[in-house]
Amino acid sequence: MRRLVAASSALFLLFGFDAAWAHAFLDHAEPRVGSSVAAAPRQLSLWFTQDLEPAFSTVEVQNSAGARVDQGKPRIGPANVMRVGLKPLPPGTYRVLWHALSVDTHTTEGSFSFHVGSH
Amino acid sequence: MSCTVLRVAALAIVLAGLPVSNALAHCFVGARFFPATLATDDPCVADEMSLPTVDYLPTPDTPPGKQVDIGAEVSKRITADFGVSIAETWTQIRFPGGPTLAGFNNLETSFQYQLLKDAPHQLALMVGLNVEWGGTGATNAGIGDSFSTLSPTLWVGWGFGELPDQLSWAQPFAVTAEASYDVPTSSFDLAAGAFIPQTVSWSGSLQYSLAYLHANVIDLGLPDFFNHLIPLVEATFQTPVANNFGNSYVTTGFVYPGVIWVGSYFQVGLEAIIPINKESGSGIGVLGQLHLYLDDMFPNTFGQPLIGARTPPAKLPFGG
Repeated sequence: MRRLVAASSALFLLFGFDAAWAHAFLDHAEPRVGSSVAAAPRQLSLWFTQDLEPAFSTVEVQNSAGARVDQGKPRIGPANVMRVGLKPLPPGTYRVLWHALSVDTHTTEGSFSFHVGSH
Repeated sequence: MSCTVLRVAALAIVLAGLPVSNALAHCFVGARFFPATLATDDPCVADEMSLPTVDYLPTPDTPPGKQVDIGAEVSKRITADFGVSIAETWTQIRFPGGPTLAGFNNLETSFQYQLLKDAPHQLALMVGLNVEWGGTGATNAGIGDSFSTLSPTLWVGWGFGELPDQLSWAQPFAVTAEASYDVPTSSFDLAAGAFIPQTVSWSGSLQYSLAYLHANVIDLGLPDFFNHLIPLVEATFQTPVANNFGNSYVTTGFVYPGVIWVGSYFQVGLEAIIPINKESGSGIGVLGQLHLYLDDMFPNTFGQPLIGARTPPAKLPFGG
C-alpha cells in the first residue's frame, strides 16, 4: 500500500491541482429545465458551474417546427451565466440547445425543453 | 485589433494545438456523461485515477474467509484516442481459525482504443487488450498467479437520451457493457494439479443519472446533492469455456446495486456485492471507490494526452 500512497502523493505534488477548472455543467436555467411558464419569457438564462469562454460557448432556442426563436448574440455575464434574448413566443414547446467551452478548454453540451402557456 | 479579437485568436491557437477529443476527456458523449463504474470499466479512454477502491466479501470457502481488497488504478491517454491503464490490488484473506493470506495481486494493464464517440446517439465504443502479468504478485502467498492472462475486450456505452419526449422520464437511463475472452498463458497449474480454463467475462451496468434528469429533462428543484447522484446496478459474470477438463463450467458472478455521486473533480461510489450463487461467494459484501478526474484537476499537464494530434477546434454544433 505504501507504493500506492507514495505514487499518488508524488502525482499531486508534481502536477499541482488547478482547483478552479473543470467541465462546465448546467447548474440551472430560467425558464427552468422542463418547466411550463404562463407568460412568454423575454430572455433565456443559463447558469453554469464553471467559467465559460464566450467566443466558443453558445445557445440556440427552437420552436416545435425547428425554427430559431432566439435573437441577438448570447452574452456571458458574471456568475457564469449565459443569456440570450427571445423573440415574442406564442404558446408552445421550445427546445434549448447549448454548447459550452470552459476556460480550460473542456467542452460540454446539452438540451432541454420548456413550455409557454397552459399545457 | 480589439482585445476581444486578440483573445479569441489566442484561444483558437491554443485549441488548435489540442486534439479535438481532448476537450471530451473522461467519458462525455454528447450530453451524456458515463461515470467510472466501480466493478466494470466505462467505455472511454481517459486521464483518471481510482484511489482507493476497497471491497470486503466473504469467500465461497467452507467456512468462508473474510476477503479485503484495496486497489488503485491510473489511466492515461497516450493520444486522444489511445490510452493505457495500470492497476494493482492488495488482498488479504482471513480464514477463521486458519491462516491469513495477504499480498499483491498480479499487476494489471489495459491498452485501450476509442473506436467511436457518437454524440447525437450517445454511443461509445472502445476496444482493448487487458493483460494480467504473471509472477508480479504474491504467488507464494497464494494471491498472485504464476501465469499471465490476455483478455481482448470490447466496451460499449449507450445513453437513452434519444427516447421520445413521451418517455422523457427514461432519457436519463444509460447502459454499459464489457465482454472479453480470457486466455491464460499456461494451460495447467502444476501446484494445484488442475487445468487453467479459458473464460468469457461479461459485465455491464444500468444507470439512471439524476444529473442528466436535472440538466436535460426536468429541474425538480431537488437539493443540489441529489442532482449529482447516479443510482446504478452493475453485474459481472465469468464462464469457463475451454481447457476446463474435470472442473465445473458453472458461471460465477456478482450483482452490485449502488450509487455514484459525481462532482466536478472527483466521484465517490458505494455498492453492495451480491454473489449470484454459492460458487461466487457466501454472503453480501461492500465495494467503495474514490475516483479522481485527472483531466479536470490537471488540465494543462497530466490531463493532456502525451501525444496530441494537431487539429482545428471542434466546430460548434449550431450557430450563434
